[in-house]
Amino acid sequence: MQPLIFDLLIGLTACVFFAFIVLVLLALAGTTSLHQLWHQIHSSVVLSCIWISLETSLVVACLTFLCGLPIAYLLALKDFKGKVVLDSLIDLPIVIPPLVTGLALLVILGGDGLIGRILNRWGIGIIFTKKGIIIAQLFVAAPFFIKTAKESISAIPQNLLAASATLGASPFYTFRYLILPLSKNGLLAGLVMSWSRALGEFGATAMVAGCIPRKTETMTIAIYMQAMGGDLVSATTIALILVAFSFFSLLIFKISFRRKDEYRY
Amino acid sequence: MSIVIRNITKAFGKQIVLNNLSLEIKKGEFHVILGPSGEGKSTFLNIIAGLMKPDKGNIWIEGQLVNKLSPQKREVGFVFQDYALFPHLTVYENVAYGLRAKGLKEKVIRKKVFRYLELVGLMTYQNKYLIALSGGQKQRVALARALATEPKVLLLDEPLSHLDPHLQEQLMDELKDIQRKTAVTTLYVTHNQAEAIVLGDRISVLYQGHIEQVGEPAEVFYRPKTPFVAKFVGATNVLNVRLLEVNDERAKFRIVHPELKKVLEIIVLKYPIFNRKKTLSLCLHPEKIKLCQEPKEVNSFLGTVLKVENQGPILQVTVDIWGLRLKVVLPKVMFGALNKEIWVCFPPDALHPLCGRCYRLPIHLRECKQQKNKRRGLNEVTLSPTCSI
Repeated sequence: MQPLIFDLLIGLTACVFFAFIVLVLLALAGTTSLHQLWHQIHSSVVLSCIWISLETSLVVACLTFLCGLPIAYLLALKDFKGKVVLDSLIDLPIVIPPLVTGLALLVILGGDGLIGRILNRWGIGIIFTKKGIIIAQLFVAAPFFIKTAKESISAIPQNLLAASATLGASPFYTFRYLILPLSKNGLLAGLVMSWSRALGEFGATAMVAGCIPRKTETMTIAIYMQAMGGDLVSATTIALILVAFSFFSLLIFKISFRRKDEYRY
Repeated sequence: MSIVIRNITKAFGKQIVLNNLSLEIKKGEFHVILGPSGEGKSTFLNIIAGLMKPDKGNIWIEGQLVNKLSPQKREVGFVFQDYALFPHLTVYENVAYGLRAKGLKEKVIRKKVFRYLELVGLMTYQNKYLIALSGGQKQRVALARALATEPKVLLLDEPLSHLDPHLQEQLMDELKDIQRKTAVTTLYVTHNQAEAIVLGDRISVLYQGHIEQVGEPAEVFYRPKTPFVAKFVGATNVLNVRLLEVNDERAKFRIVHPELKKVLEIIVLKYPIFNRKKTLSLCLHPEKIKLCQEPKEVNSFLGTVLKVENQGPILQVTVDIWGLRLKVVLPKVMFGALNKEIWVCFPPDALHPLCGRCYRLPIHLRECKQQKNKRRGLNEVTLSPTCSI
């Protein structure tokens, strides 16, 4: 194939795909006016679901970082039996439908569930609470962070870690002063992806936390409820806010870390 | 002894990389491990540093058995082939890394970092990041970083291989100078003979997982003990011969070569091994062969020039003598045309036997026959240059 034709084909495919994304977003924006958007943003229902979504997704991001980093470290740097099984298990929530995840969580965390029964004894309820939202989002979103963090840590050349060891640095010192700084960009990228996924989570959250307005109604659930209730303007407003959040957070991340702090090994 | 290595064996699957390897390195010695690529040189260093576990064998560093110690506790400095510098840190921070990891006070760290940056001539680069440094400067930072922790042993894994020849030469001098100043026991692996000659107090030639020969550079290069060492260090003419006769001073051999079209006999100075072995290999150094217009008294053969290679300051000429090909090294002068007939001459002392044995023990643990006799009180023999074989 001639280079020019090849380049044209590549360019054409990219253009069609980008046009499709832009078209979908424009169609969404076209269903409402700026005036309606402004009015809806100030409604208590919309403000409440935005707040719940931000609150739960940020908690999920923190928990993902705390729980996911040791797992990513383990998968990236340690060799042990059953590593492939564990690695596949971590990725499983990405491929199984969120509704199935939600159902499984409902079964285990419900009043008759294995964990739910124990928690109930201590007076801790998960189902139809914000805790349920957090658990559902964590389950679905954490693999995105773990996967990215693992790749990022694996990309650090082995001889850098070996050099650190021969210089007398303990594994923790190496982690703190070598692995963390060198995988910083990857970790943040994983965190942003994971947060975005948590923000947009619907199926598992709806199954575990239900759709209780001002209590467990996240933005995605609110979009669904408003649309089903016939209030397309409210649904579109929340959808546009959600898209804006996701887009601008990704944009800020990409601009902030573009080329900066990239290391050549 | 600073490092004692006994019977180290390491295999990756079915491939044995190090086979019962033993070696002793004296305190303050600059010891070079010389060998072709893929012979386990880096694996050997990794095992000493504790980055890899041997399947078998023991390692002592300054009298302490270190087999079960982690790399952090072995007090070994390591300079990697590709430097392994930390790209997110400045030159100063790279050198200070090991000292900070050990929890030293910042005042002490500063003093030590400055000392070693001064030693490698990089004081003015202390606040620079690696991206601003050349290959040679990076190598110096790696050296300063490894030395700053004041290790018992410094391990260098082909540290000059990524540099251009001019820089290699310059850094070799600096490295030797720094090693003398710090007096740190150094183990340096390379496949480059020039580096081994310039840097090594002693050289060990590693081949097929064991040490073929240990000795001072002159000994290894001018008295190789096995056909492999001979070929690897450039003494490429190895002749398989059969003994015809031997007298008090000289021995006569017939060259055994499958493509030889004529019987060729050579005269060699007598070595003790000739009394025991009748068929053996002799090493003929290319630089000891002369190309003459007229034949000499002994060891003169009419040959044809097959190839002339310009190797910078020298010429390497390949000559064919009735099917036997010999390499000859000459100073760079105008040389006659190809296919020219010429006399190939070499004196009887240009050849020496290759014992064909491998040294699996450190050289000082081996005794030659004369030394044994001397120890027993038999003084009828004097030590000759051939005693080691």
